[in-house]
Amino acid sequence: MTFTDFAVQYGGVFFAGLGIAVAVFFSGIGSAAGIGIVGEAASGLVIEEPEKFGKSLVLQLLPGTQGLYGFVIGLLVLAKLDLGMSLAEGLYLFAACLPVGIVGWRSAISQGKVSAAGISILAKNEEQSTKGIIYAVMVETYALLAFVISLILTNAVSF
Amino acid sequence: MAIVNMSNFSLFTFHSERENLLHELQKFKYVHFSNLNEDESLKEIGLKNVEIPESLVEIDEEILKAKYIIDILSKYDQRETGIKAMKEGLDTYDFIELEKKAESIDYLPIYEELRGYNTKKEALAQEIQTLKTSIDELSPWVKLDTPIRNLYSFKQSEVYMGTVPKKLRERLKMDLLETKYTYFEVISEDKENIYVLTLSSKSEAEIIMEMLKNNSFSEVKLNIQDTPGEEISKYYEKIKALEHDVEECEKQMATLIDNLPKVEIVHDYLLNKKLRIMAAENFLRTEKVNVIQGYIPTDMEREFTQVVKSAVDNVYYLEISEAQRYDPMVPILLKNSKFAENFESLTAMYALPRYNEIDPTPLLAPFYLIFFGMMGADLGYGILMLIGTLFVLKKFNLSEGPRRFIKFFYYLSYSVIFWGFLYGSIFGGIIPFPIKALFNPAEDYNLLLVISIAFGLVHIFYGLSINAYIKIRDGKFLDALYDVGFWYLALIGAIGFLLPMVIDLPAIVKTISMVIMIIGMAGIVLFGARDAASIGGRIGGGIYELYGISGYVGDFVSYSRLMALGLSGGFIASSINMMAGMVAEKGFIGIIFAAIIFIGGQLFNLGLSLLGAYVHTIRLTFVEFFGKFYEGGGVGFNLFRSNTKYINLK
Repeated sequence: MTFTDFAVQYGGVFFAGLGIAVAVFFSGIGSAAGIGIVGEAASGLVIEEPEKFGKSLVLQLLPGTQGLYGFVIGLLVLAKLDLGMSLAEGLYLFAACLPVGIVGWRSAISQGKVSAAGISILAKNEEQSTKGIIYAVMVETYALLAFVISLILTNAVSF
Repeated sequence: MAIVNMSNFSLFTFHSERENLLHELQKFKYVHFSNLNEDESLKEIGLKNVEIPESLVEIDEEILKAKYIIDILSKYDQRETGIKAMKEGLDTYDFIELEKKAESIDYLPIYEELRGYNTKKEALAQEIQTLKTSIDELSPWVKLDTPIRNLYSFKQSEVYMGTVPKKLRERLKMDLLETKYTYFEVISEDKENIYVLTLSSKSEAEIIMEMLKNNSFSEVKLNIQDTPGEEISKYYEKIKALEHDVEECEKQMATLIDNLPKVEIVHDYLLNKKLRIMAAENFLRTEKVNVIQGYIPTDMEREFTQVVKSAVDNVYYLEISEAQRYDPMVPILLKNSKFAENFESLTAMYALPRYNEIDPTPLLAPFYLIFFGMMGADLGYGILMLIGTLFVLKKFNLSEGPRRFIKFFYYLSYSVIFWGFLYGSIFGGIIPFPIKALFNPAEDYNLLLVISIAFGLVHIFYGLSINAYIKIRDGKFLDALYDVGFWYLALIGAIGFLLPMVIDLPAIVKTISMVIMIIGMAGIVLFGARDAASIGGRIGGGIYELYGISGYVGDFVSYSRLMALGLSGGFIASSINMMAGMVAEKGFIGIIFAAIIFIGGQLFNLGLSLLGAYVHTIRLTFVEFFGKFYEGGGVGFNLFRSNTKYINLK
């Protein structure tokens, strides 16, 4: 079997699989980094004021959604995997995974930074801490848009 | 239903009556004082600041004392905490009851007693700390089994004890090898140093000292008599005795615990008293008369007059007039229906309305309800929410703020159930939906996307029409046409113009739409910047206004989150079910793990879905909806009461 044969025969499933990996990897890396940033800021706060743990947890959770969006897209593509799928379909699914993967990755980190700043609102003026949550959610809009596009792409074309 | 009408009052009374007046007004509660200190025109005619009475210092001191008692005693608090405490809630008092109760409590003896014990305890702790430090100093010498007094009483020889850095150990040894009448021993070592002892003939002592110093020796003199080991165990015994004393102190303090609830009441009362005294900061005075200005709700005018009249014994001058519509200083008090009042926290979070605006709370509530449900959208989650909130509302004694917050979610749960029903989803499909649901999110997402954007259209047009309503109400009909009418035309025209690209419509629709769109856009260009000085500036500004249409495109797209969050929540729930299902196939233990995965996972997703729905709906409300008509920036009405922490004050 030459490489071309392999690419023609299994290229589809390979690229679709790679797509799942991209969707889950990148958004997961981003979310982990984002949550990490907020976690560090929150730990500093909890030393002095342990009773704010619950609220800081909400802020920490915010950059976590990107990873979940990537996971959902990954699952959707997983359901389409088939050993005999054409190279074109595989490449198409790979492309469909890119938005959620890449936007999820960067936006989760940015959102993590905003959330970490939200922790300082929580530290200094607890009553206003919901506003910190809303600032962070502004960032998430773009991850959501990428998720919507990935979702539509995954199902838009039938081979 | 909306912003409560305000009246402003000016009140002149005698200085001597002030205390009594303020007391009665605090009972009345609905008074918001204006700060006259900033009013230069009044000061120019000779009015002076009211100096804050010295009793303020006393009150501050009393508050500190009460806080001191509370801080110490709360460590021994045996009352229920957590869920049970929340269920019981705080005791409710009205102002007179609180005052009577607080005045009857004499907490000073408690303070003195507590302070006595606490000072003693701190002194003991200090002593223990000193002993522990001594032990730390002695412990390297523990191996030395000679009483120290012997070492220092030799007649012919000299003893040196001290530390040398570890890395110089070998060098020191080499150096000392050359001496004749010297004994040298390393007693112990730690990370950096060795602890050495030298015993040498007095004749050689000086040389030895020289050698030691060359090796960075630092001498240690032990101020004890017996062997270090014996001394240490003596110290330990002392510490034990002291710790026992500390325990005694603690026990004594704990016996005072019954006083804690009383002192808490005093604390909250004192805060109110302080507020009352501080209120005078807002007033001005002449030699004998105080000048007081402020706001009261219009429908309370008569009660207010009555209160003032009886408080100052009929000697007063009072003027009440309706507040100015465009005065930015008019404080805002919101009053809404039983349903809408639970959404007031959202309005307050953005900004309270100005007095000339309208209260957006009842306007935002219906859409908030719909959108929240669409993002949560699960029958199981909705029912859990409903049961949870109902349980809390029925069983818990909540104060006003938390009660409204729970009630807010209680109403939202119906919407989540409704949308869960439409989506046919029960905990992400763990139980198959008995009838065919209206939507199947996994397949009909395109339809749902269209519905989401359509909701966005309605929401934004609704926001614009509120803008028009405000302008028409204020008699600015042309402004309503220019700022809202033309946008309506432009947007509706543009939609009608673009729609034939997606669905089949008669060609005439496209033509008519185009005409409407052009009229609208022309109107925006011509009148969008009508305040500009020059014609060029006006047209340029108008074109810039029209460019705002890209913002509208962004707004509509933003509503796709309605579909996206509903879907991602559903998918995560079903993948949790999938994982639980895979584990469940592995026999009995598998089923236990599956149950854990299912319950834990679904609860996690429930929390995440609700949090997502809560904040994303807030965003749609604040950015897309409020952006069309709402400015905000009013000052809140400060009730003449301080926030209480330990009781509910009616």
